[in-house]
Amino acid sequence: MEYSREIYWNVGQQVVLPMYILSGVSIVLMIWWGFWRRIKIYRNGKPLSRWDKVAKRLGDALFSTLFQTRVIRSWGAGTAHGLFFFSFMTLLSGTFLVLLQEDVVAPFFNGRFLVGKFYQWFSLSLDISGLVAILMLFGFVWRRYVIRPEGLTSNQDNWIGLSLLLLILVTGFVLEGVRIAATEMDKDLRFWSPVGLAVAASVDDLGEKALRNVHMVIWWTHLVLVMGFIAFIPFSRLRHLILIPVNVFFRDIGPTGKLVSLDLTDESIETFGAESLSDLSWKDILDSDACVSCKRCQDRCPAYATEKPLSPMQLMNQLQALAFAAPNKGSKTESDTGMIEAVSRDAIWACTTCRACESTCPATIAHVGKIVEMRRHLVLMEGAFPGPEVMAAVNQVEINGNPFGLGYADRGGWAKELGVPTLSESTNVDVMYFAGCYASYDKRNIQVARNLIKLCRAAGVRVGILGSEEKCCGEPVRKLGNEYLYQTLAEENISAFKRYGVKHIVTNCPHCFNTLSKEYRDFGLHITVEHATTFFAGLLAEGKLQLKQQAFECTYHDSCYLGRHNGIYMAPRALLNAAGGTIVEMEKNGMEGVCCGGGGGRILAEETLGERMNTRRVNMAMHTGAPLLASSCPFCLTMFEDAARAQDIEENIIPKDMLEILAERL
Amino acid sequence: MKILVCVKQVPDMASKFTINADGNWYGEQGLAWRMNEYDEFAVEQAVRLWEQEVGAELVVISIGPARCREAIKKALAMGADRGVHVEDENCFKKDPYQIAGILAEYAKGEHFDLIFTGMQSQDRGSGQVGVLLAGMLGLDVVTTIIGFAYQDGKIRVKRELEGGLKAVVEVSSPALLTCQLGLAQPRYPTLPNIMKAKKKELTLISVDDLQQLPSLSQTALVEFPQRRKGGLVLEGDVNDLADELVAILKEKTTVLARK
Repeated sequence: MEYSREIYWNVGQQVVLPMYILSGVSIVLMIWWGFWRRIKIYRNGKPLSRWDKVAKRLGDALFSTLFQTRVIRSWGAGTAHGLFFFSFMTLLSGTFLVLLQEDVVAPFFNGRFLVGKFYQWFSLSLDISGLVAILMLFGFVWRRYVIRPEGLTSNQDNWIGLSLLLLILVTGFVLEGVRIAATEMDKDLRFWSPVGLAVAASVDDLGEKALRNVHMVIWWTHLVLVMGFIAFIPFSRLRHLILIPVNVFFRDIGPTGKLVSLDLTDESIETFGAESLSDLSWKDILDSDACVSCKRCQDRCPAYATEKPLSPMQLMNQLQALAFAAPNKGSKTESDTGMIEAVSRDAIWACTTCRACESTCPATIAHVGKIVEMRRHLVLMEGAFPGPEVMAAVNQVEINGNPFGLGYADRGGWAKELGVPTLSESTNVDVMYFAGCYASYDKRNIQVARNLIKLCRAAGVRVGILGSEEKCCGEPVRKLGNEYLYQTLAEENISAFKRYGVKHIVTNCPHCFNTLSKEYRDFGLHITVEHATTFFAGLLAEGKLQLKQQAFECTYHDSCYLGRHNGIYMAPRALLNAAGGTIVEMEKNGMEGVCCGGGGGRILAEETLGERMNTRRVNMAMHTGAPLLASSCPFCLTMFEDAARAQDIEENIIPKDMLEILAERL
Repeated sequence: MKILVCVKQVPDMASKFTINADGNWYGEQGLAWRMNEYDEFAVEQAVRLWEQEVGAELVVISIGPARCREAIKKALAMGADRGVHVEDENCFKKDPYQIAGILAEYAKGEHFDLIFTGMQSQDRGSGQVGVLLAGMLGLDVVTTIIGFAYQDGKIRVKRELEGGLKAVVEVSSPALLTCQLGLAQPRYPTLPNIMKAKKKELTLISVDDLQQLPSLSQTALVEFPQRRKGGLVLEGDVNDLADELVAILKEKTTVLARK
């Protein structure tokens, strides 16, 4: 006997038409009523084209949704969501296969494929999926309403959505059980639906008439629940089902973390940055609406963790609330002009632009760019800064090209006794070392610069510097919102590079590296720019750099601008290993690494609110028990030295730049 | 109401200074230039008054070579209405009397209600230009102000005295005020104002057209200060150290004289 079943048993083919009408109506209702009015709100934002590389975008959106790649990165709730999704998709495909057979293939081609062995496995997989989905739902309920993780926000959408899903799944099993009880109790096929069979066993003695009545009622209940669920999507947090894939499609596809350069040459533009929502783009508003409040960003935000008034998630919630507070009005509604105050200045200044939020966000929301836009408004339109010390440093960058207020003429002074030529003295060099402000002026970081020269020379690389012709790359002031000063500095640096025909730049500062390699492209710089770690890792692989292995133990801190902004995780570790190092990783490392507190221009600011970020990170390093904290960023080194000194733990853990460790082993 | 602010462009004090070939001033090589810090406070206070008095006109003037237009532009970006650049390649050779004379020659026909200057310049530091200018124009002058209020022609300022004392002084306009650091934190110019500043009126006047007075003094020689001996480090038992310190303070200073 061939395994199969009568589809639409008990309800009959006559249900097909009302079913299509119902689903048709609910889908139209959902799209027009729900999403259209949301799209109108998105359009209050500034225009922005995201229709390039459509195939890549579409592929990414489909792949990351169907395989839940960004969701399952986070173990636990993410895994459960993934399992639930896969199960639900299996159930959905099952329903579609039924639909395909009964309403397309059977009537038009007189064929059936839900038969035989295929039907057996079809039944079994649907049953297991339903069971897994129910288990995961209980898990969700347990987490949200019993465990209640810190920071997880719930509203009525959550319990309504969860209840609907649970009811849909349960009524599905009841339907199956009733049908089995009435038609399959004498067939082997019933064992291929174990959950349905369990239900069937408990209702078996009702008799066929009662079973048919129950089946009819539950069938329609199930259908109404499903339609209700679909209609509920645009009006609740369930809209993430649609908005996240759409948001992934429209996401910023790189280069990672690159900011938008403002056009400062167009004299007709008189406002800069974002004061209100309508100064942000439509994609920014879509971002805020696509946020499902999973709080992964908040859990990873170094500002939130140290009691600053910033949470990337809450920022999205605030923007969304503002966007939808006064719908159906044109741009610049009264409610949205208060964006800066709604978000709060302290929150805007607290961000270190470390990208922990963006890199973890399963919805690919871009938080940092919005914060920078608000900072641009504050600095360029109001002349406001997080504190007077920051304004003084920015003024100094303007006057002397460095934030310390030290004379520009002495920028190359550290290299004099080493005999490093400036390019004005000789352009006969292999690479130009862009030292940056810290390695040029800060005593501690000058040691790192000297070691970099030592390593270059050991590897037979001729290196020159710009000396007094080098200026701050502009990264900290740009991240603080001072696009005007940044562009001035960028143009001066680039014209110096061009003046000497520079073709290859090496820098040990990840902030300079990120700026020169990515951000300067907007101003016409397209030459090789390498960070010291990848540069020396390359020389090591080529055999030009020889290190004497000498065993040591250390932990390694990933600079945000090397790691999350540029994906450089392996090169520094390879170098440390080659030098004889055993790396005891911190719990939060690599992509999960925690900011030292120096990014986003915060290196120039006093940290007056909450716990200090550098202290927190140094304590994490201490927990590894390693005596050495290696890093590869002048800001990180400065922050860690400050933290170690302030806590009097310099004897327990020594912060070092990894170039120093390498140079000790030449 | 017409307000004038006098500003000077000076080298950033963190620069590495050299002495020029004639040995009578610093050399200009390797210097970063900026607005005299005291003048920044003067500009800020003037802009705040301009914001308070609707319809007021705020003029900024500076004497110096072409580069000093950057300082004028900064003041324009901070809010001044128009700039006057008195072109003079050799202003460093002029003494405060002659500089004040040039400014007075410009200001006398303009009938300013209030003139703000820095208390002194960071490079020459004579502290005389403002006072001399007031004298030449026959204006009341209050120096070293750290607080300012204006209401219907009445000016109420706080000025710094010796030993941490402060005095409140009232004068009527027209008057001249020399500004001390801390008077009013200079603002950071907004980008739209920086853009606007580029289009504001900037009048160029040759110094020869305004120079009526001679210099009364000349700078004979500029030298770096002699290197002093290093500090004294006391070591040993704390009780002995305290006695030693008291002895040194009594012998070399007057801080313990009162008791």
